[in-house]
Amino acid sequence: MTTGTDTYRRELVQALRTGNVPPERIGEIVAEVESHVADTGEDPREAFGPAREYAAGFRRPRSRWSAAARPAPTLLGALCGFLVGNGVVGLVDGEPALGMPAWVVLTAGAVLWIPSLVAVLRLSVPVPDPRTGRSITPAPGPVATAVGMGATLVAVAVACWGLAVLTS
Amino acid sequence: MRATLPLTVLAVVAEEETYGYAIAQRLQAAGLGAVKGGTLYPVLNRLEQEGLVTSSWREGAGGPGRKFFTVTPHGRAHLAERAAAWHTFTERAAGLLPSVGSPR
Repeated sequence: MTTGTDTYRRELVQALRTGNVPPERIGEIVAEVESHVADTGEDPREAFGPAREYAAGFRRPRSRWSAAARPAPTLLGALCGFLVGNGVVGLVDGEPALGMPAWVVLTAGAVLWIPSLVAVLRLSVPVPDPRTGRSITPAPGPVATAVGMGATLVAVAVACWGLAVLTS
Repeated sequence: MRATLPLTVLAVVAEEETYGYAIAQRLQAAGLGAVKGGTLYPVLNRLEQEGLVTSSWREGAGGPGRKFFTVTPHGRAHLAERAAAWHTFTERAAGLLPSVGSPR
């Protein structure tokens, strides 16, 4: 597979995801493009037009709920980091954080990690390839995502702890 | 051309079970010009949504899988009906148009 096809696949998957197209449908559309250009020898952009424009024809209206949920992982993640950071600093300094006992803030941040993980996993549902049944996108699995997000949170906590120790 | 594309694509699929690139080649061979993938697949998808064709992925000989399209009984009935309407329309329109080479 050429680099042109790889780039086109990435752009197309992203544009279709943004357009609220279900994962199975995305897999079909991508496989159609790749199977067709494998037959014609064309560049996908030449045969199907720019990925974003081709994807626009498949766009589906988004319900108010799912539109509102789109920024959820970022917001939850930011809130999670904010609470954990404040909690850690409060614990090190032996002072309340955000007007509450520091351990309460730290625990709230740690618990909030679960819904933010769920939100991230929900928005990155793998796209199945109808030709093979395997995932078309080399997306990290749920375990890798959980480990990655957990590591980030621990890193935030350690960094805040380091800063608090240095400044106190 | 755009308006007749769904009907001509359906007619090609009704001839025999086939796949995208072969449909494009068949249309070109029939003198209907080159149809790009970006135009053809949305038409095929719409025909499938309307229940006029069905599709299935099949392993190619050593190559990548291809999506084969098959006409449904409903698709065949639809094609016969639309083809009859199309012939009626073109005959009536032809009756009004000057014949090729005749003085206006």
